[in-house]
Amino acid sequence: MNVTDEVLRILDEVLSLNGRAARFDRNTPLLGAIPELDSMAVVTLITSLEEQLGLLVDDDEIDGATFATVGSLVDFVSAKLV
Amino acid sequence: MKQGPQALFLASPSGGQRFALFHPAAGVATARGAVLYIHPFAEEMNKSRRMAALQARALAQAGFDVLQLDLLGCGDSSGDFGDASWTAWVQDVLLGVQWLRQQTSAPLWLWGLRAGCLLAVDAARQLAEPVHFLFWQPSTNGKLVLQQFLRLKAASELLGGQAKGVVQALRDQLAQGESVEVAGYRLAAGLAHGLEQATLTPIAPAAGAQLVWLEVSTRADVAFSPVSLQSQAAWQQSGYALHSQIVTGPAFWQTTEIEEAPALLEATTVAMTPAFISA
Repeated sequence: MNVTDEVLRILDEVLSLNGRAARFDRNTPLLGAIPELDSMAVVTLITSLEEQLGLLVDDDEIDGATFATVGSLVDFVSAKLV
Repeated sequence: MKQGPQALFLASPSGGQRFALFHPAAGVATARGAVLYIHPFAEEMNKSRRMAALQARALAQAGFDVLQLDLLGCGDSSGDFGDASWTAWVQDVLLGVQWLRQQTSAPLWLWGLRAGCLLAVDAARQLAEPVHFLFWQPSTNGKLVLQQFLRLKAASELLGGQAKGVVQALRDQLAQGESVEVAGYRLAAGLAHGLEQATLTPIAPAAGAQLVWLEVSTRADVAFSPVSLQSQAAWQQSGYALHSQIVTGPAFWQTTEIEEAPALLEATTVAMTPAFISA
């Protein structure tokens, strides 16, 4: 599984980005840069990552920095999948 | 002749009215089945209203009587969300079944989406008649549904890294029998406890009982999660004829915009139709 591809696919789906996520790279800023990513969307995103990738996120493991960029989110997910 | 859905109010024995939409079977003398739709939890219900209506219409066109029911405190039914308990919702499902039974004696299908599947199973335990199930993206564990719902409250704190305390505080309040306020919904302790205990455990099937289990995914390499596979196996082992499938589509119950999954609509109608030709 390519974690970056999976994360981008889930981002695109949850935020209804209509394929915009395909042009994202590791340096693409997320939180504060993508208007669709509000606090509710962050929760949906976590839930989708849990359900679709089979990981379990403890609420004290995440903060704003986790969702700062595509790269930070991918690194977080990769670490959870190990 | 196309016949549109009929809006109606069912009087609940425990008081108040439940809003329902009845889509009568079209083009058949006798309905192929009587289908009751049980919506998902909280905001997921609103997001999925359109898909539920589209599927209800499609099934009516395929010869099924379909009833869409708004549970106590949801949609256009009376009461506040905060008045609802799990037991009251189970009673609402039974009320819907009872109403359908006044229209038709066709085989009964309980169709749930997400947490609606948990409710379908709990209600079916109390029914004396054979039940077939249609599960859309079923939640297999109410505990997880509750955890994800409580997390909504923690949404803003989550980004500041303070979420742990928030969710724990909500759990403590519920444990003391108090209701909590989450994302604009007041959640009563009785609803939280019932939901938390609900699991998708198979009930003893009648001969020829069918289970249609459908999920959607935007992934190319589609496979059921281990949790789904485990539950499907349990239902199959207990005697249900299982049809399970993943089709391409968005997670319409939680997407930011209201979205449709046409492949799911088609797969549902196809999966339910031959069940009766072979039965």
